[in-house]
Amino acid sequence: MSRFLLRRLGWMILTIWVVYTVSFFLMRVVPGGPFDSEKNVPDVIKRNIEARYQMDRPLVEQYFTHLRNIMQVDWYQFRLVGFKGLLPIPRPDFGPSYKLEDYTVNEVLAQGFPISASLGIFAMVFAITLGVTAGLVSAVARDSFYDFSFMVMATLGIAVPNFVLASLAIVLLVFNWQIFPAAGWGELRQVVLPALCLGAPFAGYIARLTRTGMLEVLGLDYIRTAYAKGLSHQRVVLRHGLRGALLPVVSYLGPATAGILTGSLVLEQIFALPGMGSHFIEAATQRDYTLAMGVVLVYTFLLFVMNTLVDISYGVIDPRVEVE
Amino acid sequence: MNATTRRIFPYLMLLLILTALGWAVSFGTLPKADFTFNNGTEIQTVDPAKATGSPEGRIINALFEGLLRNLPEKEATDPHQVIPLEPTTGGVAESYQVSADGTVYTFQLRPSARWSNGEPMTAHDFVWSWQRMLHPETGSEYSYQLHYVVNAKKYNTAEVDVGDRVEIELKDRRDPLQAFPRGTLKRGILKAIKKPKRSSPGDDGEEADSREQWIYRVEVKPTSNGKVSWDAAGTLKTFSQQPPTGSTVDHACHHVLIDFDSNVEIRAIDDRTLVIKLNNPTPYFKQLLAFYPLYPVNRECVEKYGAPNWTKPENIVTNGPYRLEFRRIRDRLRLTKNPHYWDAKNVSLETIDALAITSYTTSLNMYINGQLDWSPTMPNTIMDLLRKRDDFVSAPFMAIYFYRINVERPPLDKKLVRRALNLAINKQLICDQITAAGQQPARSFVPPQLQGYTGQQSGAHDVARARQLLAEAGYPNGKGFPKVQILYNTSDSHQEIAEFIQQEWKENLGIDIELRNLEWATFLDTLNQGDYSVSRSGWIGDYPDPNTFLDMFVTDGDNNQTNWSNSTYDELIEAAKSESDATRRMEILQQAEEILMSELPILPIYFYVSTNLVSPRVKGFSGNIQDVHPLHILRVE
Repeated sequence: MSRFLLRRLGWMILTIWVVYTVSFFLMRVVPGGPFDSEKNVPDVIKRNIEARYQMDRPLVEQYFTHLRNIMQVDWYQFRLVGFKGLLPIPRPDFGPSYKLEDYTVNEVLAQGFPISASLGIFAMVFAITLGVTAGLVSAVARDSFYDFSFMVMATLGIAVPNFVLASLAIVLLVFNWQIFPAAGWGELRQVVLPALCLGAPFAGYIARLTRTGMLEVLGLDYIRTAYAKGLSHQRVVLRHGLRGALLPVVSYLGPATAGILTGSLVLEQIFALPGMGSHFIEAATQRDYTLAMGVVLVYTFLLFVMNTLVDISYGVIDPRVEVE
Repeated sequence: MNATTRRIFPYLMLLLILTALGWAVSFGTLPKADFTFNNGTEIQTVDPAKATGSPEGRIINALFEGLLRNLPEKEATDPHQVIPLEPTTGGVAESYQVSADGTVYTFQLRPSARWSNGEPMTAHDFVWSWQRMLHPETGSEYSYQLHYVVNAKKYNTAEVDVGDRVEIELKDRRDPLQAFPRGTLKRGILKAIKKPKRSSPGDDGEEADSREQWIYRVEVKPTSNGKVSWDAAGTLKTFSQQPPTGSTVDHACHHVLIDFDSNVEIRAIDDRTLVIKLNNPTPYFKQLLAFYPLYPVNRECVEKYGAPNWTKPENIVTNGPYRLEFRRIRDRLRLTKNPHYWDAKNVSLETIDALAITSYTTSLNMYINGQLDWSPTMPNTIMDLLRKRDDFVSAPFMAIYFYRINVERPPLDKKLVRRALNLAINKQLICDQITAAGQQPARSFVPPQLQGYTGQQSGAHDVARARQLLAEAGYPNGKGFPKVQILYNTSDSHQEIAEFIQQEWKENLGIDIELRNLEWATFLDTLNQGDYSVSRSGWIGDYPDPNTFLDMFVTDGDNNQTNWSNSTYDELIEAAKSESDATRRMEILQQAEEILMSELPILPIYFYVSTNLVSPRVKGFSGNIQDVHPLHILRVE
């Protein structure tokens, strides 16, 4: 297990380095820079602004300086049952934001991450709860009215883009029946609509996956044995059947996280949520190189961690799988 | 994986998810502010010397205060009124005098003016703030607004000539990355500059790069008690920012600039009196003093915390009607009333929230839902619906939408062609049907409503005459006219206008036009490189005077970008700068605009209007051509 984790750590470092390199050069290849404006300033002033951000240094030098800053580690002394050691805790310094001059990228990420994370968590929890329940009911009450309606809703949830869903939700729930505020961040109420719209397509997908998985499992021999032994419906389905059906759902959680991260970009704009998605879009359009890099690397890290968790949970859910 | 791990894993995951949910739910509620508005975007900075946009201006106008303050001439009773702004003595200056020739301004600061930490303001605050703004290392984009002051431009562009009194900052700063507080300053007379040999003479970029390697020979004068004895004998020393390999200098330095104290005419006679000398009588200098780049900052605060930490709410010291309570990035910025403000008793709103919503639709939704009291942004697509509302406030805006023409690309190098293109567009139709918010078609470059000035106009819409001119230019009915491309930045409204103009030129003149749209930053880059034939452009005036529009098009002006050059035009603009008689000056500028409108390196399309949605519970709001709405004069019911 620890060997597995260590190997994963190695791969993660490699992935982050590749993402950093590609992003670094790709961003600077695109025309336009952070200091272009419709009103032109004299060259002397422009050079001074660029010097402030060390943009007058050769590109390769900037690459290595920035990389060195990101790879900073704090050495943390720890004692564990008489065994003393030094643990490197990474403390990346992403530099100053080119466009938000009063802030460093670390400060912006520190503010934006909790917001995106809570939105993502709510959306994910909603998606899993709704999806698994709907899929379960559909599978057990197969070909009934419930099955049919849940699967139609699931398809709609997958097919309808989340911003269309958002517009519909706003028209209905904000203006028609004034239950929720239109946008903004701060209260619990304001998270509900965005989380619903974000989680809907994933709920749909998970519902279908659960249904298929469940149907497959329910046809297996050991389920027949369980029924034959006299176990109740509930026990058979929930205790014995669900485990097997969840495997495809768990493996979907990896790409689902990616989808939630990217889906949140549009929704954060619509609902005026100051999360990382907003920062990412603004950084890209304004050519805020450092902030964009920070967000990209955080996303990479998150995805990697999520996928690793998914792989570990495989081994938990299905004892036949060995995590190595 | 062993059985124990497997058993506890789901509970572990459940615990994790519950903690995450609990943490996500834990964000507390904010008490509602007295007044909430959408500022349109997260502001770049609150530092007056470094900010450039109008959202920044709104916040800086609330946090800081300059010598003069732009206020409406009279009190507003109805938001639909258009009341011009005046740079009044409602700022830090209690009174001021201008010399007869218009070049010397003397200000008396009010004794009750204080910083938000209780300290009184002095004239030295302004001297230091403006020196910081002009200092090349600050990189202020608006520093050209102080170039009207004697020797300010020279300081700002780091020009030094032999024989000048110079100041040299040695490399012993407390923090090498912070420009302030500065390192030890040596002052003296510049005797010689030794420049390294250049491989290719005449390359400006290389010259600028090699500046760091120049060796300055300076006769350093002795200093005692902070005063420099310029007449005493000095010692010769050499300085350089980065001496070239092989040579040594006495000291390495950060900057060699002309000595601010003895050259730049911004002087504090005493704590309450500030004297400024200008190169020319600049009638709009008062407006510049009421504009945020010239606002003062607190020296102790900036030097103690450095940039950007001094702008943090827990550190910042300001002198305006409001304090900075907190900033949540891309969410909101909260302002609370500053009790030390000299006029605090007349400031009505206790807390103001400035939101940073970029989506026009979301802003409109929040306004309609009552979450915003004022929305300056709204979607263009339903403008004709919004216009009919009572709370829709619009006023003429000192800005023009126009097309730049690259006059080096044939056939656009012919004046007759450009005139024909101008006459063939039905600008009234664009204003009525496409933009539909009350914009005015433009025939001059300078917007109307500028006092004492009448815009000189290009031809009116006349298709027959346009055809005639095109034929005279050698392309009867558009025959033989090469394909021309219109460049614009990606946006629905620009696309609609470009498509309309493409259609007009095709139908009326018989010429083929291609459309090309680019994302904003790419668009700017392309425009700057001159890689276009016709390009959509816009310009907002910095101050209410025709000069801000007309001096764009001098030869090689930074904002010209059309390759157009006319020496008579340049002379007229220059002459207007030193003309002290106000009427005569306007006449000179009108003559210049006449040339511009006859040559047409640009095609004026329409003049903007400012559009705002203002809740009826807001009082004290009025329109003006700069679309500036000071927050501290607003009240809510």
